[in-house]
Amino acid sequence: MSPNAASKAGVAEGQVVRLSKAGVSIEIPVLIQPGQSDDCVAVALGYGRTKAGRVASGVGANAYPFVEFVDGTFRYEAEDVSIEPTSTFVELAKTQVHQSAEGRPLIMEYSLAEFVSGHLHEESEKQVDLWKPHDFPEHKWGMVVDLNACVGCNACVLSCQAENNIPVVGKDEVRRRREMHWMRIDRYYDEKPDGVTTRFQPMTCAQCDNASCETVCPVLATVHSSEGLNMQVYNRCVGTRYCANNCPFKVRRFNWFLYPHEDAVANLALNPDVTVRTRGVMEKCTFCVQRIEEGKIHARNEGRPIKDGEIKTACQQSCPANAITFGDLKDPESSVSKLRHTKRNYVLLEELNLRQGLTYLGKVRNDGETVGGEPKNGSSL
Amino acid sequence: MRATEPSEKTVRYAAAFFDNEHDLMAIAAEARLRGFEIQDVFTPYPIHGMDRAVGLKRSRLGWIAFVAGALGLISAILLQVWTSAYDWPLNVGGKPFNSFPLFVPVMFELTVLFSGLISIGVLFMMNRLWIMSKKKIFEGVTDDRFILVLKQEDASFDTEKAARLFKKYNAIKVMEGDKFV
Amino acid sequence: MAAVFRDIETVREEEIRLQSEIDRITAHPVYSPLREPLIDESKACSDVTNDISGLLERPASKGWWILFGLSFSLLIAGIVAAINTVYFGIGTWGLNKTVGWAFGITNFVFWIGIGHAGTFISAILYLFGQKWRTSINRSAEAMTLIAVMCAGIFPILHMGRPWLFYWIMPYPNTRGSLWVNFRSPLLWDFFAISTYFTISLVFWYLGLVPDLATARDRATNKARKIFYTVLSLGWNGSNRTWSRYETVYGVLAALATPLVLSVHSIVSFDFATSLVPGWHSTIFPPYFVAGAVFSGFAMVTTLLIPVRKVMHLEGYITVQHLDNMCKITLLTGSIVGLSYLTELFIGFYSGNPNEIFVILNRMGGPYAWAYWIMFSCNAFIPQLFWFKAFRTRIPLILSLCILVNVGMWFERFVIIVTSLHRDYLPSSWAIFIPTLTDVGLLVGSFGLFFTAFLIFLRLFPVISMNEVKGVLHYARD
Repeated sequence: MSPNAASKAGVAEGQVVRLSKAGVSIEIPVLIQPGQSDDCVAVALGYGRTKAGRVASGVGANAYPFVEFVDGTFRYEAEDVSIEPTSTFVELAKTQVHQSAEGRPLIMEYSLAEFVSGHLHEESEKQVDLWKPHDFPEHKWGMVVDLNACVGCNACVLSCQAENNIPVVGKDEVRRRREMHWMRIDRYYDEKPDGVTTRFQPMTCAQCDNASCETVCPVLATVHSSEGLNMQVYNRCVGTRYCANNCPFKVRRFNWFLYPHEDAVANLALNPDVTVRTRGVMEKCTFCVQRIEEGKIHARNEGRPIKDGEIKTACQQSCPANAITFGDLKDPESSVSKLRHTKRNYVLLEELNLRQGLTYLGKVRNDGETVGGEPKNGSSL
Repeated sequence: MRATEPSEKTVRYAAAFFDNEHDLMAIAAEARLRGFEIQDVFTPYPIHGMDRAVGLKRSRLGWIAFVAGALGLISAILLQVWTSAYDWPLNVGGKPFNSFPLFVPVMFELTVLFSGLISIGVLFMMNRLWIMSKKKIFEGVTDDRFILVLKQEDASFDTEKAARLFKKYNAIKVMEGDKFV
Repeated sequence: MAAVFRDIETVREEEIRLQSEIDRITAHPVYSPLREPLIDESKACSDVTNDISGLLERPASKGWWILFGLSFSLLIAGIVAAINTVYFGIGTWGLNKTVGWAFGITNFVFWIGIGHAGTFISAILYLFGQKWRTSINRSAEAMTLIAVMCAGIFPILHMGRPWLFYWIMPYPNTRGSLWVNFRSPLLWDFFAISTYFTISLVFWYLGLVPDLATARDRATNKARKIFYTVLSLGWNGSNRTWSRYETVYGVLAALATPLVLSVHSIVSFDFATSLVPGWHSTIFPPYFVAGAVFSGFAMVTTLLIPVRKVMHLEGYITVQHLDNMCKITLLTGSIVGLSYLTELFIGFYSGNPNEIFVILNRMGGPYAWAYWIMFSCNAFIPQLFWFKAFRTRIPLILSLCILVNVGMWFERFVIIVTSLHRDYLPSSWAIFIPTLTDVGLLVGSFGLFFTAFLIFLRLFPVISMNEVKGVLHYARD
C-alpha cells in the first residue's frame, strides 16, 4: 500500500485491515511501500496454507479466493475491493526498518552524462601508512559488486544461507532485529516530488585489511589470514559482541540462543563443508572460505595455479545478473582486479580507511536525458 | 624466623603506659637522649615525629616499591611483545605485530600491580604480620594506651633513673617483664 | 669548689640543651585557628573505640534487618535474571544485531564509576593531606570494592559464553599456545579492573588491620575472637610496624591515584578507540574520570546519610563532611557539564556529518528523553550545590545525590545505546528495548551492592578508628 493510499484509508503500518469483495474477505496487516501505486494494494499469494508442515501452516492469509478464472486465464487483479481498518495491530517482521539513506553517500549513482564525462567521484587520496602493511604472499581475495547489474532479487542472500548453514530464526527474532543472514540487500528510498526511486546494495562482510573488528577482540577470535580474509574463529569466540559494535557495516551476526542443529533429518540439509555455530559466538561472511580451499586443493592436485573465476562464492554463483565478481587481487589480470581499476569502482565509507576487500561499481542511471545534454540535478550524490 | 627480627629477641624489658601521645613522644625522646635503649613504642595510631623521637631511620620500603614497579613494567613489556610479535604473531586489524603504543595500558597496570602487591607483601614479612602471629600485645594499645618499652638487659640500665623518668611524664602504669615475645 | 659549680653549671646547660632538643623533636605542627575541628563533640580515644567497635558488638538493629531483607530480595531478582541469561543465552536481553551492548555495559561502567569515589577519598585526598577524609574513607573504600564487584559481574555475564571468560587471561595453553589480543581495549579493561580491585582490596585491608586488632582485643565471644585474630595478623601497634605501615600506605596511595585515573580512562577507551560515531572521541578519558568521581561522590553521600543517621555517627560524619563532599560533587559535575558542551561544540566544529548526526539524534531522536534526563541531572542539578543551603540540609543533599546517580546511569546508557543504534548504515538502524532480564540484572546489581554494604557494616569497623584517633586533636589543642 502506498503512503498516500494508507493515509487516505486512515491506516498505519502494521494495522490489520479487512479486504473484502463479494463475500470473500481476508484480514491482513498493512505494509506501507513507497513507490506503490496510490490506487491499488498488493497482496502476496501463497500464504494462509493449512497443510504445509510446522513452518508454513497457518501463516498469513490466503488471497487466492480473490483470483478469478476468466476467459481461460487466471486474473490476478481484483477490482472494487473494499478496505476496512480494524483495531488490531501486528508488528511486522522486517529486516530493515529505516528506509532513508539520510542523504549519506552510501550507494553511488551517476547520471549518464556524468558517466560519459568520466567525472564520477573524487579520486581516493593517496593512502599513507604509519607502518608497513602486512604482506599477502600468495593470494588476496577480493570481491566487486556491480550495482549496475544488481537487480536486488535476494538470490545471493538465500544461497548464502543455504551454503553456510545459517540458522532461520523466525518472525519473533526478526522483529527483535536478530536475523542471522550473513548477506543482505540494503534498500533506501529517494523520495522526490516526481516519485520514488529505490537504491539498493548487496552488503556482506567487506573483509577489511584494517579491520576494526579484529583489533577489539580480546581473545584473538577474529584475525586476518595471509590471503586477506577476515577470519572468525568460532571455537575461540567468547561472545563479547565488541566486534559487531565496531563494524561500521553491521555485518556480524551473533548466536543469541542455541539454534537447533540436533535434528538428524533436518541436519541432512546442512552443508557438510561448513560447521554450525553454537550459542554465544559471532559469525559472519567468510567469502565462502570452504570453496576457496576446495579450489586451491583442486589446483594443487592438478599441479597448476588457480584460474581466475574458478572459485565462485555462493552468492556469486546464484546471482542471475552476474553482478558479483570474486577473485584474486594479487593477480593484476583477474577480472576482479580489472574491475577495481574502472572508473565506477568505489569503496564504501572510504574515509574510515578500512581497506576493504569488497568494493562496488556505482550505478549509472539513465533518466531519459540525452548524452551530451544538460545533466539533471539531484540524480547524483 | 623469630631470630631475624632484632626487636623481638628474648630480653628483659620495662614498659610504661601513658594516656596521650605528647607524653609518650617526649619521654621517648628524653629516654633516648639520656642513653636508654628503646625496645619499641606502641600506639593506637601512627604518631608523626615518633620515628624521630625514638631515632628510627626512614624506611626503605619506598625503594622496594619502585623496584617492584620496574619489575612489573619489564614483565609487561616482555609478555606483550613476546606473545604478540614472536611467539605467535597474528595480523590483527592490519596492525604491526609489535603494536607498542597499544601495549602501554597493560604496562601501566602491571607496574602498579607488582609495585602494590610486592610492597605490601614485604611489609607483612618485615613486620611478621601473618595469621599465626604470636606477638606480645599490650593491653589497651589498640584502644587508648601509649606504651614505651625500654630494654633492661643492658648492664647500664639504671632502674631508679627510669622510674624517675616514668614519673616525670605521669605514667599510668609501669610493668616489667622477662621475655619480650 | 669552683670546679663543682662549673660541673653543676655544665649539668644545667646540658639539661637545657636536652630539653630544647626534646622540644624540637616533639614539636607538632601548628594549625590555623580558623580551622574547625573535624570530629564534633569532645571525644577521647576510648570514646572512638567504644562508639565504633560497639556498633559491631551489639546485635543488628531492626532497621538493619529490614534494609537487608529488601536488598537481599533485589539480589535474588538479579540472581534469577543471571541464571536466565546463562541458561538460555544473551538472547534473553533486549540486544540486537545493531545494538550489541546496552544495559550490561551501562551497568558495568556505572558501577566502576561509583567505585572511583572511594579511591579518590582514600588515596587522592590522603596525598593532599585532607584530614577530613578519615571519617569516611573506610566506608567509601568498602563501597569501591563492592561497586567493582558489581561492575565485574557484567563483563562476564554479557559474554556469549561466560563460562569461558578465563580465555581473556594470557596463560600458556595447549592451543598453540594461543595468547590474547593486547590491542583490545577489553583486554586492557581486564587488566585495569583486576589491578584496581586488587590494589583497592589490599589498600582497604591495610587500613583495616589496626582496627581489626581493636575488634580482636574487645571480642568476648570465641567466634569473633578467632575471626578478628586471624584477620588482624597479630597487630600490636608497634612503632616500627607503624612506620613501615605508613610508608606502604603512602606508596599505595601514590599508586592508587594514577591507577584510579587510569581505570576509567581505560574503560573510556572501550569507546574512544572504536570507530562508532559518538564513541570515537578523544575527550572521553578525562570526561569519564570526572564523571566517575562525580557519580561516586553522589553515591557515597547517598549511602552515608542513612548510615550516619541509623548508626548514630553524626559526631563523626558531620555536616561539614557532607558539605565537603557536595563541593567535590559540584566541581566534578561542572567538569562533566563542560564536557557535554565541549562534545557538542567539537561535534559540530568537526564538520563530520556522522558526528553531527549523532548529536542531533541524541537530542531529538528516539532516546532524547534519556539524553535530557542525563543533561539535567548531571549538568544542571549539581549547580544547586553552589548554594550553602543545598550543601547543608540533609534531605536536599540526599535528593540531589540520588538524581545525580540516576543521571550518571543514563549518561552511560546514552553514550552506549544512542551511538550504536544509529551508526553508519541506516539500513541497520534499530531500537533497543530492555527486557525483564535486563531490568532484573540492573536491579539485582543494586541488590548485591546494598546487601554487601550492609554486611560490611556488621563485620568491619565502619569508621577508621586509628585514623580518627589521630585527628581528634586537630584544630583543638
